Amino acid sequence: MAGITLNKAIKRYGAVDVIHGIDLEIEDGEFCVLVGPSGCGKSTLLRMVAGLEETSGGEIHIGERNVTRLDPAARGVSMVFQTYALYPHMTVAENMSFGLRMNGHPKAEIAAKVKAAADILKLNDYLERKPKALSGGQRQRVAIGRAIVRGPEVFLFDEPLSNLDAELRVEMRVEIARLHKEIGATMVYVTHDQVEAMTLADKIVVLRSGRIEQVGTPLDLYHDPDNRFVAGFIGSPAMNFVKARVRDGRVHAPGLSDEAFAVDIALPPNGTDLLVGVRPHHIAIDPQGASHTLIVKEALGAMFHAYLEAPTGERIVVEVPEAEAVGLQGDVGLRMVPDRLLLFDARTELRLR
Amino acid sequence: MSYVTRVWQDHKAAITPWLFLLPGILMFAIYIVIPIFQSIAISFYRWDGLGEKTFIGWENYRELMRDDIFFTALQNNVIWLVLYLLALPAGLLLALFLNQTTRGIRIYKSLFFFPFVISQVVVGLVFSWFYDPSFGLFNTALMKIGLSPIAVLADERYVTYGVIIAGLWPQIAYCMILYLTGLNAVDGEQIEAARLDNVRGWRMLWYVILPQLRPATFIALVVTVIGALRSFDLISIMTGGGPWGSSQVLAYYMYEQAFSEYGFRMGYGAAIAVVLFAIMLIYIGFFLAKMYRDEKGR
Repeated sequence: MAGITLNKAIKRYGAVDVIHGIDLEIEDGEFCVLVGPSGCGKSTLLRMVAGLEETSGGEIHIGERNVTRLDPAARGVSMVFQTYALYPHMTVAENMSFGLRMNGHPKAEIAAKVKAAADILKLNDYLERKPKALSGGQRQRVAIGRAIVRGPEVFLFDEPLSNLDAELRVEMRVEIARLHKEIGATMVYVTHDQVEAMTLADKIVVLRSGRIEQVGTPLDLYHDPDNRFVAGFIGSPAMNFVKARVRDGRVHAPGLSDEAFAVDIALPPNGTDLLVGVRPHHIAIDPQGASHTLIVKEALGAMFHAYLEAPTGERIVVEVPEAEAVGLQGDVGLRMVPDRLLLFDARTELRLR
Repeated sequence: MSYVTRVWQDHKAAITPWLFLLPGILMFAIYIVIPIFQSIAISFYRWDGLGEKTFIGWENYRELMRDDIFFTALQNNVIWLVLYLLALPAGLLLALFLNQTTRGIRIYKSLFFFPFVISQVVVGLVFSWFYDPSFGLFNTALMKIGLSPIAVLADERYVTYGVIIAGLWPQIAYCMILYLTGLNAVDGEQIEAARLDNVRGWRMLWYVILPQLRPATFIALVVTVIGALRSFDLISIMTGGGPWGSSQVLAYYMYEQAFSEYGFRMGYGAAIAVVLFAIMLIYIGFFLAKMYRDEKGR
């Protein structure tokens, strides 16, 4: 078992840097999720750890070993691919044992390891089938089984659930969480789905354009984002942002309310442009008011999402309990708790605290 | 609504495919299927192509059994078949070599594909000059390294091999293109998974790449076998079956018997064609069985 340390890791394609010197510490046994929009470099970073992409600069350590220049097979990592990457001409058992067979392990040991992995993943009934005859979820389980059989120090997952339908995705998510508990190995998991990130991770790394935006536990990132990007990326439905300005030591956000409100953090000078961020369940609708127009209500069951338009033209999503939402229509007002609002500098998009 | 329109309305979906198939079926029947049966029929007659046909039963086939040149041709066809199969590994090697993204790789690919584009007649001429004992590159090269010249195409020991090598040149190019297309469809993530499993080099090729190339291998095998069995152009251009019938193959011998200046023995030529057809039928049967299995397996 081993942790992973990235030290100024850089990936360069020709003259273009796609990973700009990443420093990251992943503890032994930790479940670390790399998350970010497409093109942010999360998969590239994972593949650098796997050794499938050459590292152009900096160092990567797994445990005590510097693996920066090692072959993928020598790094002690297993990878689960988005498309499963199962060998179509081999049975499930052959797929899982392929790596061991190729590296000359004794037959009895291979059989025992395949059986152990099949037990963990409940694949015993499918060992003699070809991947073609399996469902998507079963295929992904085989891919995970293949990773387990190799007994790696580190598991790498590259968007493993993206090819599954919504229901299976939830099921496999739970499966992977259980697996991590059972095996206790270090896992690095790439996804663009922030729900997966929130539910699985011990530690989330939010990436954007090849740079780390913030590292922390899921709830850290949720409650205490460092910048507008992280605030907007983590949480579903996404945080609302409205333009605001500092006025006489108070914050004036016309998209939320005509009245400026006081906050208990040090504000920048008068006239500075700000962004106010507020999560949809941190504001409420005041049926008596008339400052906003209700455009659409989405019924999700116990909760409704109400889409409001402010006089400034800004859109605001509010989470409303079913009981209050049913009668809502026309013009409504907003109620908010200033403590729950997050302030960001409009230019740097950094959080003001 | 008239009866015809009603039938059309009710069975549109069933009739339409047949309408689309009709031109193809007609052409295929007129130019391929019916002539096959006509040839089989003619093989039981003595006929010079103009005069009266005389039914002689199995006489043409009995004569074949006594015909030394026929057996030479048959044996040469087998040699063609076996050596032509070299086009598969050679084409695969070239494809693996060319399957990369370097500047101008398309130009290199086109150059390697070129032999398949030019006519077999031109290939035959080029190789005839290449083997020419007086000015050919082959013998110039032999003499450079101190060996005595060999008149490849005039020597019954070498002539068939010489022609086969000429035929392999475009055939390798063809197999290469088939494999290049196949390699495009190889799943990169499987290769990466194998790299993580510490598999590389020949083992990567054998265990991971080749299984994925099976469709390409199958097509390459079929076209190469058929290409070997119907070899005609090169024989015609380079040797005319000589010297003394030693480079004869069935397709050319049939032509010679039926159409050339040696006589218009339509019946005898048809009998040779029927034998060739029977040999091909083995492969066609294999091909169809495999296609049927694949479609069912899906």
